[in-house]
Amino acid sequence: MIALTSVSKVYPNGVEALSGVDLYIGKEEFLFVVGPTGSGKSTLLKMLYREELPTSGQVSVDRINIGELKPAQVPFLRRNIGVVFQDYKLLPLRTVYENVAFALRVLGASRTQIRRQTTQVLDLVGLLKKANCLPGELSGGEQQRTCIARAIVNNPPLLIADEPTGNLDPATSWEIIQLLDKINKRHTTVIVATHNKAIVDGMRKRVIALESGRIIRDQQLGVYSNVL
Amino acid sequence: MSFEFFLKEAWTGFRRAGVMSLVSLVIITVSLTVFGTFLLAIFNLGTMVSSVGSKMEVAAYVDKQIDDYTGNTLMLELSKIEGVEKVKFIHRDEAWAAFKKDYEGRLELGDIVKENPLPNAFVIKVKSPDLVAIVAKKVSNMPQIDEVRFSGNLADRLNKLLEAVRLAGFILVTLLIMATLLIVVNTIRLTVLSRQTDIYIMKLVGATNSFIKWPFILEGIIIGVAGSCVSVIILKFSYDLVSSRIAAALPFIPLITSKAALFWIYSGVAALGILLGIIGAYISVNAQLKESV
Repeated sequence: MIALTSVSKVYPNGVEALSGVDLYIGKEEFLFVVGPTGSGKSTLLKMLYREELPTSGQVSVDRINIGELKPAQVPFLRRNIGVVFQDYKLLPLRTVYENVAFALRVLGASRTQIRRQTTQVLDLVGLLKKANCLPGELSGGEQQRTCIARAIVNNPPLLIADEPTGNLDPATSWEIIQLLDKINKRHTTVIVATHNKAIVDGMRKRVIALESGRIIRDQQLGVYSNVL
Repeated sequence: MSFEFFLKEAWTGFRRAGVMSLVSLVIITVSLTVFGTFLLAIFNLGTMVSSVGSKMEVAAYVDKQIDDYTGNTLMLELSKIEGVEKVKFIHRDEAWAAFKKDYEGRLELGDIVKENPLPNAFVIKVKSPDLVAIVAKKVSNMPQIDEVRFSGNLADRLNKLLEAVRLAGFILVTLLIMATLLIVVNTIRLTVLSRQTDIYIMKLVGATNSFIKWPFILEGIIIGVAGSCVSVIILKFSYDLVSSRIAAALPFIPLITSKAALFWIYSGVAALGILLGIIGAYISVNAQLKESV
């Protein structure tokens, strides 16, 4: 589904975030990207939904070379990708329901479609009872669930989460990862960048380890670190 | 559905920009009012110039009654003068009837003047403007002619005034349009900046750029429409007031009173306002969208 071929990224300030990365991710995989801060995890993820373009090399999603996409086509790529953030990026003046519905609304969905899909996804993430709350009235875990609901409300085949548990306590983090796993089991490819050792070790999924912009390990049923 | 969404977003933006929205509204109103004032001045001066008549005419008056024979001889003599292209005779009764019809309802002439006070007139059309004064001189030397008038000077001066007003109006309106655009651009920029997260989210979930732009363009339209309304109201009331005063005090000055003509002038003002709102918003939102992902 996703293929990176000798991808390098040098930012205008000279920092080399990725160098010569080759990676293949299959359909419906669950993948952890681990590594210290500044190792290039975020850059790698941002390339998948074209917030960043590679300096050299090729990124393709669903056999589409992202580098060749015209600006007018980018929105249609993004409709197939859900993105979850560490800081949730919820709109503070809109309710949970509105935040989730917003994603459908800007795609021009019909009223009934919006109501049906939003309700379904809020049920899936367990937030149906909080639909009319503002983000400020929610706990961190609930805000993250809202963010996830928004990311998957239009059923994208790919879900990308950048440090989704970065601001959460261990128990809540575990709940969020369970939710992502549940979404993965509904045939969605899930890519999670994380620092959270306990979670990676507990899940035993495929693990990609990055260091200074290079992949140093690619392991099925992997753990956070091989060094004990 | 979508339009409702856009309109709500636009109204929220307008409200959130608060003071800045108000400032752009005032600026756009001021610019439009000045623009409208010049438009009204130019059109009114235009009608004045055309009513004063062509610059190439000389009028010669004969006070006493003349019979057809003298009339014809005079006409022949006048048309023989060098530089004269055409001569037209207007009988005093004819002129009186036309005058009464012109001022019907405005002046009760019948009450004041019982008898026709107007002279017979020859309207002499001259071949070129620089010959007007010479022809007028020759005509006034003819013994049968009591008085000669030519509007050359007045028409000339009115025309020069019209040119000056046009030029001043053009310069002033251009400057005001630029200032207005700048203010509108900044107002919309404030909204765009305050909604960076919204825009970022919209882009990530795959909203197209044109979709993202609409609420901001609508906000520009709201500013434009509001400014236009206020300015047209100001223009209409002040023009009605001023023109009725002038009509009462100086009834011989021809002012534009036709509803249709005024409607077009006011429509022009409103259209400019809305256009300024749209263009300002477009410039602003385009610049901002280019900077984000």
